[in-house]
Parts: sequence; C-alpha cells; structure tokens
Amino acid sequence: MMDRAGDGDGERISCEQAIERVYEFLDGELDPDWTERVREHLEVCRRCYPHFNFERIFLDHVRSKGLCPERNELLEQRIREALLPD
Amino acid sequence: MTAAGDRRAQFEAEALVHLDALYGLALRLTGGDRARAEDLVQETALKAWRGWDGFEPGTNARAWLLTILRNTFINEFRRMQRHPDPVTFDEIAERSVFADVAEEDPEGGFFDRLVDAEVSRAVDELPDEFRVPVVLSDLEGLSYQEISDVMGIPVGTVKSRLHRARRRLQRRLYSYAKEMGYLS
Repeated sequence: MMDRAGDGDGERISCEQAIERVYEFLDGELDPDWTERVREHLEVCRRCYPHFNFERIFLDHVRSKGLCPERNELLEQRIREALLPD
Repeated sequence: MTAAGDRRAQFEAEALVHLDALYGLALRLTGGDRARAEDLVQETALKAWRGWDGFEPGTNARAWLLTILRNTFINEFRRMQRHPDPVTFDEIAERSVFADVAEEDPEGGFFDRLVDAEVSRAVDELPDEFRVPVVLSDLEGLSYQEISDVMGIPVGTVKSRLHRARRRLQRRLYSYAKEMGYLS
C-alpha cells in the first residue's frame, strides 16, 4: 500500500489536516474513515481539541440565534387581503 | 360553513400562522432586504394558496411553506448569479478567531453575550454567495448534497464556501464582541 501522509489505514493525521476538516466533521459530512481519523487526532491533540470545541460552540450560536421569526403586521394584512377576499 | 370558507379557514389556521417564520427566513436569505423579503413571503403565500388543495392535512405545513419560499428565492438567485462577481479571498477575514481568543476566552463565552440581532446582522452582511449556503446549512439544516442540488453548484464548492463564510461570520462576531467590550 502507498504510504501517503494521512491517506492510509490507521495513519495519524496532522493538525492541519484535522483543522481543514473541522466544519465537515462538525456537520457530520465526513466519511466514516476520515471521521475516525479526526476523532483519533482529537483524542490525543491538546491543541486541536479546544479549537474544535470552540468551533462547535460558534456553530451552535449561529444555529440558535441566526434565524429569528419576525412579525410584520402590514405584510400579514396585505397577504390576507390578497389571498382571502371576503 | 361553505367549502370555500372551510378551505380559507384551514389555510389561515395551518399556513398563515407560519408567516413570521417565513418572513424571518426571507430576511436572512435576502440579506436583510425588507422589500425583497416581503415580496418573497407574499409570492410564497400566493403559491401555497394556489396549491393548498394538494397539501395533505396533518403533514408539516411549516416545512412545506419554507420549501416553497426557499425554492422561489433560489430560482431568482440562480437567474441573477449567471454572471456573479468573483468573491475575493480575504485571508484575514477567513482565519479562525480561535488563535486570537485562545488565551482569554477559549470556550467562546463571548458568543453567549451576543444577541440574536447581532448574529442576524452578521449573516446579512455576508456576500450573497457565502450567505445563502450558511442560511441553508446552519439555519435550515440542509445537507451539503441538498445545498448543492438547490444551488446548482458542486458539493466541493458548497464545502469551501461554507468554510469561508463561517470564518467571515465568526470574525464579524468577534469584532462586535470587541466593540461591545465583551473581549479585550
């Protein structure tokens, strides 16, 4: 088997390779093989673990605060008049 | 009640109750453009009303309406994006802020202090090509493949735009936090 960095079974990956994939990992979009490699890296890397944790907290905030329903009474009235004439 | 009255009452009770959510999504997709967001919601409501007979009662009306709104927006967006301006690479804006806060606030406590309006504003300020994938992914929960399908761009492009968009968004939130004195 070719011995390419980070591309063979069970090979350790670098911090750079882990960080490049931070959002794919947190989004659950990495394939199982890469997910496992990143997970293994995070178990042993004191630098990347807090970084990943920070990115996860950031995404949680965007997801919970970014989409706020907003009331627009004039729009509601306009729609009711246009769609539901008495 | 007449059949027409029934239909109307049902539409009011099951569809129009979601107007606030529709308007919220429309605002984020259009980058806070109120006039465009209002038109988008109105067009969505009109399409939903026309298609109401095909809607299966008891299924998720909110999800159905949000999908109509998203598709309506994306059709227009894709028409306008046939000749998009190239998005320039901004090395500083796209660097994670983790290194900047690792000493002072490694767990991102400053995010807690930002209010919803600041996060929405930061999303609105992203260039279109970056904002739309963020809205679809982080606010609507679509997968990379679904975003690729609706936007008509390769999955690899979705991935890189999301990455760059989130970094820009994060740096903007970091700047707000500094302006507000949440970070030194």
